[in-house]
Formats: sequence, C-alpha cells, structure tokens
Amino acid sequence: MFSTIYIEEEVLETSRVKKMLDRFPQVPRVVCERYGEVFNRKSQNFRLQKKAPALILAKKYGSKVLAAPDGYGYNDSRSYYFSHMLNCVYDCRYCFLQGMYSSANYVLFVNYEDFEEAIASKIEENSGGGVYYSGYDCDSLALEPVSDFCKHFVPLFGEYPNAELEIRTKSTQIRHLLEQPVIPNCVIAMSFTSHEAGARWEHKVPSIDKRLEALQKLQLAGWRVALRFEPLILDSLGLTPYENLFAQVFAKLDAKKIHSVSSGLFRMPIDFHKRIVKLYPDEELFARPTTTADGMIALKSEDESLQLAAIEKILFSHVSPQQYYRCG
Amino acid sequence: MIETLEKSLHGAGSTPVNIVVAHALEAKALIPMLHLQPFDTTSRFVQYGNSNNLHLIVSGIGRAAMEAAITDLSQQQANEEGQIRAWLNIGIAGHSQAPLGGAWLGNKITCQVSGVSAYPPQLIAHIDSGAVITVDEPERTYPEDAAYEMEAFSFFEQATKYSTAELVQVFKIISDNLENPIEKLDFKNVPNWIGLQQEQIILLISKMSSLVGEYNDSNRIPEVYRDLCSRMHLTVNQKLQLRRLCLRYKALGLESDLESVISLAGSHSKKVISQLSAQIDRVGKQ
Ligand code: SF4
Repeated sequence: MFSTIYIEEEVLETSRVKKMLDRFPQVPRVVCERYGEVFNRKSQNFRLQKKAPALILAKKYGSKVLAAPDGYGYNDSRSYYFSHMLNCVYDCRYCFLQGMYSSANYVLFVNYEDFEEAIASKIEENSGGGVYYSGYDCDSLALEPVSDFCKHFVPLFGEYPNAELEIRTKSTQIRHLLEQPVIPNCVIAMSFTSHEAGARWEHKVPSIDKRLEALQKLQLAGWRVALRFEPLILDSLGLTPYENLFAQVFAKLDAKKIHSVSSGLFRMPIDFHKRIVKLYPDEELFARPTTTADGMIALKSEDESLQLAAIEKILFSHVSPQQYYRCG
Repeated sequence: MIETLEKSLHGAGSTPVNIVVAHALEAKALIPMLHLQPFDTTSRFVQYGNSNNLHLIVSGIGRAAMEAAITDLSQQQANEEGQIRAWLNIGIAGHSQAPLGGAWLGNKITCQVSGVSAYPPQLIAHIDSGAVITVDEPERTYPEDAAYEMEAFSFFEQATKYSTAELVQVFKIISDNLENPIEKLDFKNVPNWIGLQQEQIILLISKMSSLVGEYNDSNRIPEVYRDLCSRMHLTVNQKLQLRRLCLRYKALGLESDLESVISLAGSHSKKVISQLSAQIDRVGKQ
C-alpha cells in the first residue's frame, strides 16, 4: 500500500503511530525530523511519486481549522475546513492537489486531539455553530482503515448539534460510520462525475455503483448524505452522460432525504493549472483552450452557462431547487 | 527476468541513466556487467557509455569531486527539449555489522558535517533500503545504523539540479565493517563485491530507465519544433510558446496537423505562432 513510511521523530513513540506501524511490518520505515524534509520539496515530481506513494506520519503545528475558500460548500459565512491529511489515495486527473503539491505522498497528521481541541474552540467561537468541511486537501474516508478518522472526529460533532460536519469523499470505507451511532449533524458528501468522465480521468476511484451502494447503506442507517456533481467537464457528448448518471443515482437513493446536492464546473487556480500542465503535457484535458478570470482558469466554452442550466434542469426533476446549490 | 532486463540495457531501447562512481575500481566491475565502452570526450573525467544511452562517469573521491563531475556531465548532456536523465551513484561504504558485499538503496542521506538530511523518494520496490551518512574523513567506528561513505549527499544535492529527485538514487555496497576495518580494505575485492550485487544493480537501472523513459515520452516535443527552431529566428519567449503549442497539438491528437498549419502561415515566426494558437482554439474545444 505504501512504498515507505516516514515518521517524524516527535510522534515515533506515540501509541497511535505504533498501532499504525504494526499494520505494515514489511514497509521500510524512515525517521525524519519534520515532514517538510520529505514532503513538497523542490525537484520532486507528483506524477512520478503517484506511482508508489509513501505515507508520512507527522504532527500538525499552527492553525488547524481554516476559513473555507470562497465558493467552497454552502453559502455560509461561517465555513471552515480542517485537514488531518494531505493528498489522496485516488488519482483524478482533474484534481487540483496535483498543482498544489510537488509530492504525492500522503501526510497523515496524527495529533488528532489537537485538531479536536481546535475544532471545538472554533465551534465555541461561533456560538456552537458553523460548517466544518473535511476533505479539502484529501479524501477523508479513503484511508479510514489506517487513520480511524471517523472514529475520532465524528463523535465530537455529536456534542455540538448546531455545528455541521461535512465529510467529502469518493470512498466506500464506511464501516466505521456504520458501527457508530448516527450523528444527525454529520453529512457524508459523495462526489460523482459521469461514467464517461470517470473512466477517462478518475483512476483508482471506486465505481459509481460501489459509491451508490455505500451511500444507500448510510442513508438506510439514518446518516445524512449529500451529492456533489463536480467537476462538470462539458464536452461533445452533451447532456446524455449526466441524464444517465442522475437516473442511476436517484434510482438508488431517497431523493427527499438527501441533505444537499451541488454541481460545479471545472475551475482551478491559474498557478495550479500551470504546474499541472508541466506535469502532464500529454494530457488532453490540459491542452484544451481555457479562459481565466479572478485568478481561476476554466475550460473555454461558448455555451457553458446554458449547458450548466440544462444540467440543473435535469437535476431538478429529481431534487428540489431548495436542496441544490451551485459551486464556484 | 534479470537476463531480459540485462539485455534491455544494451539492446535496442534507450537507457538514459547516468551512473556515477567515485573510484576506478568501482567502474571496473560495472563496465563488463553493463557492456560499457570507453566514451570519447574532452572532459577531464573518465567516462564510459554504450549505444543505448547508458553512461558512466568516474568522479574521484569526496564531495567536491562528485559535484564537479555531475556539473561536467550535465553540461555535456544539456538539451533544449526538456529530456532528462536518471542518476545513480554506486559506491562502496562502511557499516558496523553489515556483511561485506551487502548493499542497500539510500532512503535517507545525511551530511555529517551539516547534519542536513535528504530523502530520495523510494519508487523502486524489491531492493533493500537504508540510511547513508556522508563523511569527509573515513569513519572507523560507524556509530549509526547507516552506510558511511564520502559522496552520496553531494551527489543527491547536485544531481537533483538536473533531474527530478525520484530519478536520483544512491546504491551503497558494504566494503568495510568493525571486523574488517577500512585500513585493511583490500581494494582488489571491490569489483567482486559490486559483482555480487549484479541482479540488484540491473534491476535498479532498468526500473530507473523505464521511469525516466515515461517522463521523457510525455515531454517529447514533436519533431516539427526542432525544424522550426532551426529554420527561423525565434526569441526565447517565442520558443517557449511554440514548445507549449506543439505539446498541446500532440496532447489533443493533432500532431499531424502541425505541418499544414505551419506551411500555411509561411516563414514569419509571429504569424506561425498566432496561426497555431488560433487553429488549436478552434479545434481544441470538446
Ligand atoms: S478523490 Fe478528490 S482529492 Fe482524491 S484525487 Fe480525486 S479529486 Fe483529488
């Protein structure tokens, strides 16, 4: 699963790290002082590292709960995100993480208690409310068997019923969620693109069927689930791929019980795009004509807003407009 | 499997790997193993190569010698096409207890003088890995569980200026330990110890070669770019624009259209670039 495990000296003797290491007796271990010595150094190549990523076990210093970027999630001024992990086990070609980091290794911050403290104090600062996103710099659930993320972070939100936790994922690792009592203010938001886009750009991601199966199990168990249809990459296939996708999704899920549905077009900060182009000069997606506005890059398309509106119209045949928001 | 890999190193494919050794005796074992021939060069460093693009340079001992050799070789191999090479340092080292002839890939290289460590990313499976410590004077007590030697840290620091860290690796073979101290090291044995690691060395080179090959393939600029550069005067900025355009045509599966667009645009560099941009904007939309 990992080519190497790097461990910061400071966390080497912690019981959490020892337990994690016990799972991988065969994987070479390297002790380092700080994770920055290994991760995101100049002269590293994300694309090559993705072939055999390493795990880095580290301690997170500094701010642990940050204001969510504009356009991320619901339109709530009190939106935050936290990242107990950097990078993702999946390999979506459109993912902005490729442009954000020069390293594809997974950094797992193991000082969960410090995160919990920071989240709790942010919730209290917000009089017990706010929306807290997990899964901005990573996929929150994909490494669950190793990280036990859900076991630690989800129950905390049980103590703050007015704060909301959104776990954004493409993973089907839901066992730990199903094993614990439902927390009504925790939303599991699953991302989807069309079959065609998935086949083309999403590598190692569980199939749409498998993801839907996981969401259905969660919904039947009483968990609140949400749907994220992004990034929408519009192409010559038109609306049919989305019609098919929505039909498949809503045949499986109880649409009325869905917490929220969102969609968003492919957008990326210009700098990230530049770096990704260098990384994948042979990738068709990044060779397409683009436009830029407000520091973001988008694919050039004359009828983008019309197409998006058409996709939304199809969506509204399944869910109510009140359940929906547009990202970005 | 090793026979197949071994053949591939001097077969028809390309092996864009530079091997750097400090000592001529280290080269002695590698030359027949890798089917290398003396390489004719004006450089002050002795070099070997084969028709398959595999290259070996003898740097001399110590950090400064290593730096100089890498700079020299990278200048000799400089190209405008963004093609890179993998770099592999093979050399002898000491360890307190490891048996003579044992070997590992450096996963942490520490400079003893500065205390700074570098971590070559580990993409290659099935080869043992371990720590390496670079010292300025031969180490006699080997206090840490690491291979003690004199060049690896400089090698990594210098070679990563010309390649990406994943393609810069250090492979150390144990030549001395507490029972066989460095003073009694019989240099005649060096080629034998290296020879013992033939399988690992060939595996390593072929894996590095395939990684760098993939990198170079994805960065390969269509032939027409070189043609244009030789035919017309292009500023540095124009060359960059043209390079990117050629790569975009290739990525969109339109490489074969390049020639016709260029021939329609004539011989004026600005016009060529604007035509190529306009055309790709028209047809590149999906
Ligand atoms: S699942 Fe999300 S975070 Fe992971 S690679 Fe894909 S887009 Fe990136």
